[in-house]
Amino acid sequence: MEHGADNHLSGMWKWSLRLGSLAILALSWELLAHKVSNLLMPTFTATLAALMRLLVTKRLWEALWLSNQAMVLGFTLAALCGISIGLLMGRYRTAEKIIDPYLSILLVTPMSAVIPIIVMAMGLGLVARVMVVFSFAFVTITVNTRAGMRMIEPGWVEMTRAFGGTERQLWLKILLRGALPAILTGLRLGLNRAISGMIAMELLLIAIGIGRLILDFQGYFEAANLYATVVVIIAEAVILTQLCQYLERRLTPWAGQVSSQ
Amino acid sequence: MIELQGVRKIYSGDNGRAPVVALDSIDLTIETEEFLCILGPSSCGKTTLLKAIMGLLPIDAGDIKIDGQSVSGPGTDRAMVFQNFALLPWADVITNIAFGLELRGMPKPERQQIANELIHAVGLTGFERYYPRQLSGGMQQRVGLARALAVDPNILLMDEPFGAVDAQTRRLLQEDLLALLERTRKTVIFVTHSMEEAVRLGSRVVLMTPRPGTICEAIEVKLPRPRPPDIEKHPQFIELKEYLWHQLRAMQVMTADHD
Repeated sequence: MEHGADNHLSGMWKWSLRLGSLAILALSWELLAHKVSNLLMPTFTATLAALMRLLVTKRLWEALWLSNQAMVLGFTLAALCGISIGLLMGRYRTAEKIIDPYLSILLVTPMSAVIPIIVMAMGLGLVARVMVVFSFAFVTITVNTRAGMRMIEPGWVEMTRAFGGTERQLWLKILLRGALPAILTGLRLGLNRAISGMIAMELLLIAIGIGRLILDFQGYFEAANLYATVVVIIAEAVILTQLCQYLERRLTPWAGQVSSQ
Repeated sequence: MIELQGVRKIYSGDNGRAPVVALDSIDLTIETEEFLCILGPSSCGKTTLLKAIMGLLPIDAGDIKIDGQSVSGPGTDRAMVFQNFALLPWADVITNIAFGLELRGMPKPERQQIANELIHAVGLTGFERYYPRQLSGGMQQRVGLARALAVDPNILLMDEPFGAVDAQTRRLLQEDLLALLERTRKTVIFVTHSMEEAVRLGSRVVLMTPRPGTICEAIEVKLPRPRPPDIEKHPQFIELKEYLWHQLRAMQVMTADHD
């Protein structure tokens, strides 16, 4: 009981600290913008007002829908391919030997540089946008899945064998289960990469969706609207990440908190 | 009865290293319901021998027969207790104990009932819903032992099962293991590097030498059964332990010279 009350208290303390720091941040922004006082830097209140106006327009939601179509499709494809290849690499040494050099190269490749190539090859349609998102998220998911397979203790596999477990049982009850925490972490990080990919592509080459909105507002010096749109996209990323972390805690409570970002 | 004839196991040397002969010309017969301890210094092939009998490792020459049948893989007549417990961190005690039965396709209510009986037998009543990380090493190995007993094997293969726990816990686990085996008679092959443990538990002790792993001696332990808790005061216990120490020391010195 006492412990629970203690937790509750520290929880409230945590939240008041958070809200306090947010208030200070907002106030500093407001004061700074008033001091600078030009077209290019909106005040906090002006941004907030623009956000409220934007949230009831069809324009914002249409842009979000358009962008997220490519994001969701690309991310799903990256998840399917990344998990499968990561699992294969973790289980079979031959697959690891063949794929690892390419994965190592892709891991350090600045993906923005690949966008023009994809656009040249596939045009400006949905397929190209899906492929760009895919290329941003795929490597992260693959690498994390493989890391999850490497965390499987050989003793679990040996024990399953000793009790007469089949290869199918080994996959279902040990390998997938044991790699699940890392796979979920990979999906969360991959989702962040997918959103980055979506925005980078829309700003750089295929001006539609949220990227188009940002470019328009920037072009017409509508600073408050520009800031509000960026807030929307940050909010989307934060909400999706929180959702992933919630799933990780629910599905893999034994793994503890993974702190990597 | 388990019969080993001319068993040989070679680990191929990866990355340019020379192949290692882990076991060579092992001849050994283990009677039904015997408690056999395999004793030897590190890397003498004790664990390899145990895994070969379990059917986890193919052998390169010779034959392992259980009641006349050659071993070609794991079977329902054998179960193993592992040195590092090999418990599943995402499963609670009852699920871990029932895991062997789960793999064999037993329906959940039945296997949970068996697991519950064993939880009581190994002294873990009240810990059914605990996860491995919430248990001490000794308690974790009780789960490992219960998981092996749950499939009701004729042969229990134990790979340095009490090697990772402290001395007091080890004594308790040894006593409880002996008490459990008085009730359910099984053939036990118990790998250890502790002379005291070998003499305390075994009805026979097999001494192995390293490089290549061979059996150098098999010694009957002529101590009364069931073993009293203060067996270490028995003159024969002391004598046998001294003898094993003498043999092991000679081996270690030899190996050290060899290196």
